[in-house]
Amino acid sequence: MLLRRHFLFVASLLASTTAVMADEAAAGFRAQFLAGNLSWDDVLTQARSEGAVQFFYWGGDDNLNVWMDSVVAPAMAALGVTLVANRITATKDAVDLVIADAAAGRTIGDGSVDAIWLNGENFYTLKQQDLLFGSFARALPNAVNFEWEAADARSQLNLRDFGTLTDGAEVPWSGEQYVCAANRAQLPVAQTPHTFEDLRAYLEANPGKFAYIKPPHYLGNTFVQQVLYAFNPDGTGAEPFQQAIADLGAAELARLVAPGFAYLKQIEPLLLGGPQGAVRYPEDAAAAEGLFRNSEIHINCGFGLYAVATKRANGSYPQTAEEIIFPAGNMIKNKNYLAIPANAPNPAAALVLANYMSSVDAQVTKLDLVGYPAGIDPWTLELADAAALAAAAPAHFGVTQDELDANIAPDTNASLVDVIEATWLEYIERGSRLPLEEIVANAVAKLAP
Amino acid sequence: MARSKSLPTAARFYLVLMGLFLVGPFVPLVIQSFAFQWDWPNLLPSEWWFTARDRARLPLGWDYVLSPYSRLGEAVVNTVVIGGATTLICLAICLSAARVLAREQFAGKRAVEFYLSLPLIVPEAAVGLALSVIFVRVGLAGSYAGIIIAHLIPTIPYMVRLLTAVYQGLDPGFEEQARVLGANRLQALRLVTMPMLLPGILAGCLFTFLVSTNLFLLTFLLGQGKIITVPTLLFAKIAGGSLDASAAGIALVATLPGIALLLVSERLLDGRIGMVAR
Repeated sequence: MLLRRHFLFVASLLASTTAVMADEAAAGFRAQFLAGNLSWDDVLTQARSEGAVQFFYWGGDDNLNVWMDSVVAPAMAALGVTLVANRITATKDAVDLVIADAAAGRTIGDGSVDAIWLNGENFYTLKQQDLLFGSFARALPNAVNFEWEAADARSQLNLRDFGTLTDGAEVPWSGEQYVCAANRAQLPVAQTPHTFEDLRAYLEANPGKFAYIKPPHYLGNTFVQQVLYAFNPDGTGAEPFQQAIADLGAAELARLVAPGFAYLKQIEPLLLGGPQGAVRYPEDAAAAEGLFRNSEIHINCGFGLYAVATKRANGSYPQTAEEIIFPAGNMIKNKNYLAIPANAPNPAAALVLANYMSSVDAQVTKLDLVGYPAGIDPWTLELADAAALAAAAPAHFGVTQDELDANIAPDTNASLVDVIEATWLEYIERGSRLPLEEIVANAVAKLAP
Repeated sequence: MARSKSLPTAARFYLVLMGLFLVGPFVPLVIQSFAFQWDWPNLLPSEWWFTARDRARLPLGWDYVLSPYSRLGEAVVNTVVIGGATTLICLAICLSAARVLAREQFAGKRAVEFYLSLPLIVPEAAVGLALSVIFVRVGLAGSYAGIIIAHLIPTIPYMVRLLTAVYQGLDPGFEEQARVLGANRLQALRLVTMPMLLPGILAGCLFTFLVSTNLFLLTFLLGQGKIITVPTLLFAKIAGGSLDASAAGIALVATLPGIALLLVSERLLDGRIGMVAR
């Protein structure tokens, strides 16, 4: 985080001193495309003349890497575009690259990133800095594979990314759901917790056998958000958390989160290490996975609708791992997306890639080989395509898809995420004795632009 | 000389201890690289990679590491090419610098020496972040040239110090003697100076190469994710997931260039030192 701030600072120092470099052809293409003056054949022709697409994605998943090289690259090659798949360590590295390029005066046709796999705050950052190509998602031929009708509640995942309007500047690529796995070798079906109260009861009988990832990691933030939804004093769950902080106000937010934070404080001595007097929050998914594998915790949670199937298949979960419905009614579901930056060097090729990734073929093979849930919406598809998608889905263990579907909740608004995260750090980690209202108000004041 | 017989028991004990200390960390890594599932409290994997690979739909463990999908081949080639180029350029710069520093006295010599070791004091991150912004502007970001230039920064201080010490230990009298006896400058350099410098040069090159092949942050920042080396590949692998079989395999491969070079240089150095002593 610190590193990144320094980087952005140095980058912005240079920004003011640099002349703007622009690629006339690419700029013209962008203007024509966004104005709707180009046919898809024009885009394909332009993409072929650009020749390559610089795609940046998190490269830590072997299965994804295999799929990218063995399925996506040949499909793009057939369209006359070379896929340059840059595997990165963290998505924000690609975002930083876009910002650094922009700071150096590199605009459309001249940067180094054509497409990024991202969501949430990384999209928010690019949008805030006005570094997105423009509204392209609904102009792709495969846009028909998504629900765009705002009246249909299911369209929200395509229209909003952590509460931020996508405005077509990114196209959904995969769906995800927060799912917890239990090791049946330790946790019998009868004792499975479904609510946070159940979890507390389980931990009282089995102290120290649960941990959630430490905020500000997004997985930790997600767990905290689900607690806040469940303990919402008005009983309206996730609903008020869809508003931006400017609309909600600090005092109202403090009122809504108070019971949830009280619960988090209460269970702290029952979490991993708590019985020994030194509670331990794992730093990331890898750490939590290790704890789960080694039976130090009985439940491990994270994003991954088919994670149990994938991890059982590659040995990173025990064969006794099963999915559970927890927290009932509050399993956060979201999507992740492909975005095209404003300074994409090959904008037409980026559009072709985005369109291919939205195709039924790409989505079915990705689901089948990598186990990433579809980003396209099955009800918009031809029956045969929807059936192919359903057939490609990996297995569930211990729960059904219908049960998983029946317990979903939306993400928290991106502007609240930072406030809640700061409140957690102050109230839980630092053990501040200030009243919660004051902590929330301070966090809001500090984060105000 | 019967060295092995004359070793006292205590020395043998320490030798074994040292051996264990060096080899120890590799043992779990090797086991992990062949494991499918290896959890507490099992002392050994409950299932090995070779029994699980038949039912796996995608390459698993070493199958992945050695497949083109892991990009390990590309990373190894990049690492060796960048390390080799860095070493040669570094040597060319440092050889002449070290000669002057060792033999000449001039105003501000202490300051120059201090200046040359500055990169050891300034954190790699600070250098890398500033450089990456500059390199983006001049078009060196994401290029081999950019990475090699960046790798020179932390390697020059080591090489200069090492070569300066070597030059200091080399009496200029040897060269003069050769000239007096009728050798021309080139012959003196080739037949007298070089053989005496060679052990130092080889040690410096070995060190430079090893530092270069292990640099993560500079490579990562200046390669922009486009140029992958073994350290960046390994980091990408273990930053998001746990140390699974394929990560352990990549980690093991990452140690190979160093080990290979150590063995080669060991042989070379042995021969050379023997020759000089004669």
